[in-house]
Amino acid sequence: MNFALSHTKIQRQNLTLFGFGLVLVLVVIASLSLGAFSIPFPQTLAILFDQIGITTGTFEVQQANVLLQIRMPRVLMAMLVGGGLGIAGAALQGMFRNPLVEPGLIGVSTGSALFAVIFMVLVPTISSLAWIKTLGLPLFAFVGGLICVTAVYQLSKSQGRTDAATLILAGVAINALAAALIGLVLFFADDSALRSFTFWSLGDLGGATWAKIPVSLTLIGVPSILLLFNSRQLNALALGEQEAFHMGVNVQQVKVRLLVSSALIVGVGVSMVGMIGFVGLVVPHLIRILFGADHRLVLPGSFLLGAILMNFADLIARVIVIPAEMPIGVITALIGAPFFIWLIFNLNKTKN
Amino acid sequence: MLQASNVHFCIRQRPIVDEVSLELNPGEILAVLGPNGAGKSTFFKLLSGEIKCKHGSVGYNGHEINKLKARDLAAVRAVMPQHTQVNFPFTVQEVVELGLISTRVKQPAKLIEEVLEATNTSHLKDQIFNNLSGGEKQRVQLARVLVQIWETKPFPRYLLLDEPTSSLDIAQQHAVLKILQTLKARNIGILVILHELNLAAQYADKIALLKNGLIAKSGTVEEVLEEKILEYVFDHPIQLIQNPVTGGVLISAAAQANTSQPSFKQA
Repeated sequence: MNFALSHTKIQRQNLTLFGFGLVLVLVVIASLSLGAFSIPFPQTLAILFDQIGITTGTFEVQQANVLLQIRMPRVLMAMLVGGGLGIAGAALQGMFRNPLVEPGLIGVSTGSALFAVIFMVLVPTISSLAWIKTLGLPLFAFVGGLICVTAVYQLSKSQGRTDAATLILAGVAINALAAALIGLVLFFADDSALRSFTFWSLGDLGGATWAKIPVSLTLIGVPSILLLFNSRQLNALALGEQEAFHMGVNVQQVKVRLLVSSALIVGVGVSMVGMIGFVGLVVPHLIRILFGADHRLVLPGSFLLGAILMNFADLIARVIVIPAEMPIGVITALIGAPFFIWLIFNLNKTKN
Repeated sequence: MLQASNVHFCIRQRPIVDEVSLELNPGEILAVLGPNGAGKSTFFKLLSGEIKCKHGSVGYNGHEINKLKARDLAAVRAVMPQHTQVNFPFTVQEVVELGLISTRVKQPAKLIEEVLEATNTSHLKDQIFNNLSGGEKQRVQLARVLVQIWETKPFPRYLLLDEPTSSLDIAQQHAVLKILQTLKARNIGILVILHELNLAAQYADKIALLKNGLIAKSGTVEEVLEEKILEYVFDHPIQLIQNPVTGGVLISAAAQANTSQPSFKQA
C-alpha cells in the first residue's frame, strides 16, 4: 500500500510511531506503579517480568494482586478507550473533512449514552443472563451512536460536502434531543439505574475489570484495525468526495465503513467507561500540527496518543486526591477545553 | 471512444442538459464552450460519472458508465473539477501522490517527478497545499490529475477538465494547453471546458458550443468558429480577425456599440 511513499518518509513515520509506543509503555508502567497503594518501580517491573517467566526481583503477593487484578485491567481499558476515541476522532474528522468534528459534538457519544441508559433501565429484569449484559450493552450503545452520527451526517451534507455551520447545528440539535430523551428515561428509572447513570456523565475507569476486557478488546480493536486499512481512502476524501470518486475510491462504501467502525469504537467505549470528552478532538489535532495530515500516520498516531493521554489523565485522576478519585472526564476536559479555546483562537488568527 | 448519447438531466422539470450527444476520440482535444448557465458543468459531471443522467447513456470504450466500478472508471478517465478544497495541511507531494491511489504503476517516484516537472510545480513539493496561491493550487491539482493517466497504457483513456486555466496567467494558460497537446500522443482524448475562446481556437481540434442545455454547434474548429454562431451563443457581437503574425484566427469580442441595454442577462 505504501508504494508511492519515499523511503525517508516511511522511516520518519515509523520512527514517530515507535516513539509514541515507547512513551505509552512508560506511562503504562508509571500508571501501574503509582496510586493510593504505591508499588515501587523495581517491584512493578519484577511483577510484569514474572508474568512472562523471567525472575528479576522479589515482590509481595499483595503488590502483585493490586497490580494484576486492579490496575492492569484499568490500564488496558484506558488504552483501548483512549486509543479508540483518538482513532475514531481522526477518522470522523477526515470523513467530515472538518477539524472541529469530535465524537461528542456530532452525537455519537450522546447517542450511545442514550441507548446505554435505555438498556440499563429496560433490561435489568433479564440481566440474570450475564452475557446479555456484557455483550448487549456495548452493542446497544453502538446502535445508538450509529443512528445519531448518521442523522447528523445526512443533515449536514450537501453536494458531497459537509457544511461546517450546518454540521455544528445538526450536532447541537441531535445532542439536545438525545440528552432530553436520557432525562426522560431517567425520570422513569429506579434509584439503582440512576446511580449507575451518574457514572455515564463524566466517565469512570474504576469499573474496569478483567471480565470486560475481552469484549472491549474485540469490539474496539477490530474496528480500529479496519480503520487503519482506510487511511489512503481518507487522504483521498480530504480533497472532497467527488474528487475521491474521480480517483477511483468507492466513496459510499468507505463512508459506511468509517461510520460503522467509529460508532462501534465510541459506543463500546461509552458503554464501558462513560462519556469522555475532548480526547477525540484534541488528539488528532496534535498529531496533524506536529506531523502533518497524512492519515497513514494520523490514524495509528491518534490511537497511540489517545491511549497515552487517557492513561495519563487516569493517573492524575487517581493521584491528586488520594485516597479518593477524580472523575476522569474532569481531567480530560481540563486538558481539552483550554486546547479547544487555543484552537479557535488560532483558527481566527489564520483566517484574518 | 467516450460517447454520450441523448444525455438528459433536469432539475425540477427544467432541463439543464437536454438530449445532448457527443463523441470524444482518443488523441483529440475537444473544447466545450458556452455562456454561463449553459449546462457545461452539469454535462461535465454527467460525463465524469459524478451524477447520473435521467435518460440517455455515457459509454467509455464501449462500456456503459453505470456498469463500471469507481476503480475501473478511474483507470480510463481522470477528472479535474473547477475547485478543489483541501481541509487539512497536506503537502503538495502528498496531494499529487493521491492521484495514484487506485492505479498500480512501475516507478511511482519517477512518474510523480515527471509530472511535477511538466506542471512546473517541483519547487513547491514540500510546501503545504493550502498556503499556495490560486494559480499554484490549480497547477498542483492538474499534476494530481495527470499522475492518474501519465503512464502509457495499451487502451485509450480520457481526461476531463473543467476550466483548468481559470486562475492562471497567460504564460501558464498556454503551458497547460501545451501539456494537453502532448497527452494526445499518449492515446488520450481530452475534453476541456474553457472560457477563453482564443485558447480553444489555438489548441483544440474540435469545439462544441453549448447553450441552454443544447449543443448549438459542434465540429472542427473551422466549422464552429463563425461570427454568427458565436454571436448567437454568447449574445454578444463577435468579430473574427486574422492574426497578422501567425495567420491564425483571433476572436474579438468588442463592446456593444450604441446600446443602452444592460448586458447582464439572466442565466
